[in-house]
Amino acid sequence: MTFLEVTSFLFDGFKISLLIFAVTLLCGAPLGLPIAFCSMSRFKPLRAVSRIIVWIVRGIPLMLQIFIIYYVPSLVFEWEIWKNLDLAFTTGRELSFAGRVFAVMIAFILNYACYFSEIYRGGIESISKGQYEAGYVLGLNKSQVFRKIVLKQVIQRIVPPMSNEIITLIKDTALANCIMVGEIIYKANILAAEDALIWPLFFSGAFYLLFVGLLTIVLGKIEKKLSYFRS
Amino acid sequence: MAVLEVNNIQKHFGKTEVLKGITFSLERGQVLAIIGSSGSGKTTLLRCLNFLETPDEGTISVDGKTLFDAADHKSLSDEVIRQNRLHFGLVFQNFNLFPQYTVLQNVTLAPSLLKTGTAEEIQSKALSLIEKVGLIEKKESYPCQLSGGQQQRVAIARALAMNPEILCFDEPTSALDPELTGEVLKVIKALKSGDSTMIVVTHEMEFAKNVADKVIFMADGVIEEFGTPEEVFDNPQSPKTKAFLAKSFEEI
Ligand SMILES: Nc1ncnc2c1ncn2[C@@H]1O[C@H](COP(=O)(O)OP(=O)(O)O)[C@@H](O)[C@H]1O
Ligand SMILES: [Mg+2]
Repeated sequence: MTFLEVTSFLFDGFKISLLIFAVTLLCGAPLGLPIAFCSMSRFKPLRAVSRIIVWIVRGIPLMLQIFIIYYVPSLVFEWEIWKNLDLAFTTGRELSFAGRVFAVMIAFILNYACYFSEIYRGGIESISKGQYEAGYVLGLNKSQVFRKIVLKQVIQRIVPPMSNEIITLIKDTALANCIMVGEIIYKANILAAEDALIWPLFFSGAFYLLFVGLLTIVLGKIEKKLSYFRS
Repeated sequence: MAVLEVNNIQKHFGKTEVLKGITFSLERGQVLAIIGSSGSGKTTLLRCLNFLETPDEGTISVDGKTLFDAADHKSLSDEVIRQNRLHFGLVFQNFNLFPQYTVLQNVTLAPSLLKTGTAEEIQSKALSLIEKVGLIEKKESYPCQLSGGQQQRVAIARALAMNPEILCFDEPTSALDPELTGEVLKVIKALKSGDSTMIVVTHEMEFAKNVADKVIFMADGVIEEFGTPEEVFDNPQSPKTKAFLAKSFEEI
């Protein structure tokens, strides 16, 4: 196989990595917000439930969570949802892994939403009471104070920790390999097994590196853009 | 008629009684200075007036209208509290400017959100207030680019933009370096005219003496002494007041 062929073969896998990355970010980041608000709720039972869920999700390896989402429906409820989805998306001779990608995405979204929620909570709780009170004494209501005064300060504070999580996320997508989703590491392993080529496995690192470099630049720009004020 | 009537305000946090029945009234245009050692409840009183704390007992009336009556305060909705706050303004000890907004935006934010006028009216009023506090050349600066004294002057302009009937100051110069207190006190002094009623909690005795129409000396949650500056400073009746004043002036 030529270098170009290997690169293109690996890139097909990296597209799946990017898909998991994008879907997790687009769904997990918004989902973290209600979880954060539940974790800060004044209604104690809700707060307790929310914090316990976050504790469990953050306390268990992501790989295990992928296994749980993937195996529990069929083992416990005899519900073959992921396999059926795989079959439903299969067109040629080769079995599609679409169902397994869904399973991975759900595990990732839940996991990252919980991580994001803690970042949001930390950011919101770090804003001083004085900022809220300054808004209230001017006659603003709670929603105005949050949207017009607190939010931007929170965003400024959460960008650095969010950047860290986002960079971790692209590397975590390699975990999808554990239920044989065809992401880049899986593809590289195929080359190792079928063509006795080991170097593509190491070469796959270059894809991550390049993408992380790109993320670093973009996230750094956002951080810089928000640095015009000091809170 | 009194613009502000405060009757028997009591407030406790847990077991500590912080305000033990505060009663006073204020005429329109008057400046009231509140002095007293730290922990005597001055901040808590201002916070009660601005509805950041809910008194356990007592009533608060503005222009003869009862805004708050502890007897039925449970009926006060968020919206009513918000409306009540519009009668008062509060300048904080540590400014609490909004860091992401420029000086001008800090001043226009609340009026724009609450639509107190047209955009042009709000803008030109804000500019004239910023001019009044002497910061017109800083109108596009962010709070982090200003000195403490400048930030406090912006905070004053911001509070004035909502046209409060009674403007409260909680130790407006305590967080400032000594050389910056003068500029802030000068601005407050210049506001004293016509119908702006002010309550100033302060440790600046000279300021209280020269600017205030009425002085309250608070100790342990009660008004120990109330009167004109001459009465309180030159002829105090209570031993606590005498001791406090002796100590304050000895420090200078
Ligand atoms: N939110 C609060 N919870 C408990 N105690 C408080 C609270 N706010 C004030 N206090 C107490 O009330 C007393 C008076 O405080 P404060 O009104 O800030 O006094 P001052 O402004 O005169 O220094 C102090 O003993 C303070 O510890
Ligand atoms: Mg105080």
